[in-house]
Amino acid sequence: MNTKNARAFATQLLVAALVVLGAGGGLGFAIVDLRQEISLSANTARVLEQRVVETERRIAELGGAIAAEQSPEVLAARNESFALGLVRPAESQVVRVAGSVTDRLTAKRQAEIFAAESGRVLTPVRFNTGGAQR
Amino acid sequence: MTARGFASHSRLYLVALVVVVCFGVVAHRLIDLHVIEREHFLAQIQDTRHRVVAEPARRGNIYDARGDLLATTKTDITLAVDPWALQDKIEAQKFPARMARYEQEQRERRAQLAELLGMTVAEVEALYTPSWRDIPLEQDIHDDVVDGRTRARFVKFREGVTEEQFAKITALRVAGLTHERRFRRVYPHRELAAHVIGFVNKEDVPSGGVEAFADQYLKGLSGWREIERDGKRVELAQYRQREVPASDGWGVTLSIDAAIQYIVEQELEAIVDRFKPQKATILVSDPHTGFLLALANYPSFDLNEFGTTPLDKQRNIAAADLVEPGSTFKIVATAGALNEGLVTPTTKFDCTLDSIIYNGKPRRFMRDDHRYPQPLTVAEVIAKSSNVGTAQLGMLLGDRRLYDYARAFGFGERSGYPLGREEPGLLADPSKWSGIDITRIPAGYSIAATPLQVHYGMGVIASGGDLMRPQVIRQVVDAQGEVVYTFKPAVRRTVLERGTAESMARMLQRVVSTEGTARVAVIPGYEVAGKTGTAQKLIDGRYSARNHIGSFVGFFPASQPRVLMTVIVDDGKPPTGGTAYGSVVAAPSFKRIAEQLIQYLDIKPAAPTSGPAFFAHQAEGGRR
Repeated sequence: MNTKNARAFATQLLVAALVVLGAGGGLGFAIVDLRQEISLSANTARVLEQRVVETERRIAELGGAIAAEQSPEVLAARNESFALGLVRPAESQVVRVAGSVTDRLTAKRQAEIFAAESGRVLTPVRFNTGGAQR
Repeated sequence: MTARGFASHSRLYLVALVVVVCFGVVAHRLIDLHVIEREHFLAQIQDTRHRVVAEPARRGNIYDARGDLLATTKTDITLAVDPWALQDKIEAQKFPARMARYEQEQRERRAQLAELLGMTVAEVEALYTPSWRDIPLEQDIHDDVVDGRTRARFVKFREGVTEEQFAKITALRVAGLTHERRFRRVYPHRELAAHVIGFVNKEDVPSGGVEAFADQYLKGLSGWREIERDGKRVELAQYRQREVPASDGWGVTLSIDAAIQYIVEQELEAIVDRFKPQKATILVSDPHTGFLLALANYPSFDLNEFGTTPLDKQRNIAAADLVEPGSTFKIVATAGALNEGLVTPTTKFDCTLDSIIYNGKPRRFMRDDHRYPQPLTVAEVIAKSSNVGTAQLGMLLGDRRLYDYARAFGFGERSGYPLGREEPGLLADPSKWSGIDITRIPAGYSIAATPLQVHYGMGVIASGGDLMRPQVIRQVVDAQGEVVYTFKPAVRRTVLERGTAESMARMLQRVVSTEGTARVAVIPGYEVAGKTGTAQKLIDGRYSARNHIGSFVGFFPASQPRVLMTVIVDDGKPPTGGTAYGSVVAAPSFKRIAEQLIQYLDIKPAAPTSGPAFFAHQAEGGRR
């Protein structure tokens, strides 16, 4: 038996095994680390996704609550409970303007300016109070 | 001889052998796991870790014409208790002192929970008592004992918990508390437009109204994903395999305007308070497009309380109930005779007659409430609502043409109201008419129509001769608010020549004047056209002298109609004790609603003209 060759073979086998073990171990650790990173990213994505869903849920909830508060029935009740006395305008309170509204407002503003310059007192607006009419 | 030290032959062989054996063992185990036992372990993993999770789509919203939310979807949380989980956790504590401390801590948290939910501590504690529930023997596989019962791990606690409440409850970290989240439909305006919107029941099945009609747009498409969970039932996000995201439902924008609907419903309430009718309905629409602006019925119901509402209240009276239209139907015979060129607005009729020979036989007229000694013109027949005059107009047309015009006006057939559950009405073929039908039908008796048919019948005159299809949905919008589909106005048919419609409109203006039957509906400065109707109710096969259906159908401004409105009050009882004429129970409501719509829709008063309003309007380029 060629003992020299046998020993060399055993040594090589041992070295190869150690290299394989080392490389395998290293590769294993790398894979584990990679998977851990994947897992962390996936979990972060899942958490973000949940937060988006949560936010959408709250928006919907809030939208519903706002719509309920803006319901004409609720607003009418508020008007009464806060004694605001808000009423719908009646036709008698409305002045229909046939011509250009812009021209009328311009003329009105100019009249106010000229009146102020000439020292005249001009009451620009007269309010017809509606009060708490129903 | 060289010293070999550690690397002697035998040791090297031994190490090599150990390494080979180790690899061999690993290889064997790998083969065992991945080849021999593969199916078994895969099945086990599939069973415990693998789950298919459904992702329900969120149902789309319903908006009114101005974008106000009429129906939306929110999540609803059902709280439940798993009493066994708490017991398991307590038992898992290794030391008695720690166990007692944990138990005490949890008890305090449960007391806080009770306070948060407005319950007594005893009530909450009772839910935490471990219990069993019965199950079929073949399903009893969760524990080792097959005795037909299993641990109750989902004891329902409280339904309808809000997100805000739930956030507070979660912060308490009460052990054994579990929950289920699902979508629930809510209607922020409650009763508003209940019969138009419809509702979605607890099984997510739409019932009536827009909810059912537009379900294919609203419901969306549920998604799903395959997931794996760890031992604590937490999803392992990295193992998500396949994912089909849920696609939320589209939104639907109605032509109904919540503000107009509210005005109408308020008026309906006033009618109910004053006249205590059996039922009543009000319709408001745009005569040129056929789009409904408001539709309200009495009785009605709260959409959020559909489960406790009798089915009778859920019926859309406007589409599903039949009434004898009474004098509002007189427009058919009159318009028909005008359209055929048989009469002009100034043609006169003797309305003192009691009977007349028609098709060789004497026919008795329905009597008028007033006697008119002088012959009445066609315009006066309409203004004063003469039964005798209208019957003569019907006779001029003849059975077949009268029937054809009635059909053309939309009577006796479904109007195409999109939300369904619509009755076609009753209009018999002339071959089945009795001898007196020719005197009754022109006055709106011996036929039955839905309020929708009466409304759109008048719409023929308001629109300039076209019969429009009733429509409620204006647009469909996707989840991002982009318009997906727009519903266009649809003309069912052209019934009258434009000139005839204009003549009719002018004549109907006289109804709403001091000489007409609807003087209470006069709005100073505005041209209002309309027709009152009072029909005796058929009770036990006989026309009742005490029970009436009073109605008013009108539009304004007559020369350029913006609003078409119908008010029908069934069996109203005027507080003064008189007959529930249309001019008493319906026309005043028309006026009150119209006055508010003038402000809301900014409808200008008619320009003073010397000639007929229609001619003035034509000079401006005609109606669109």
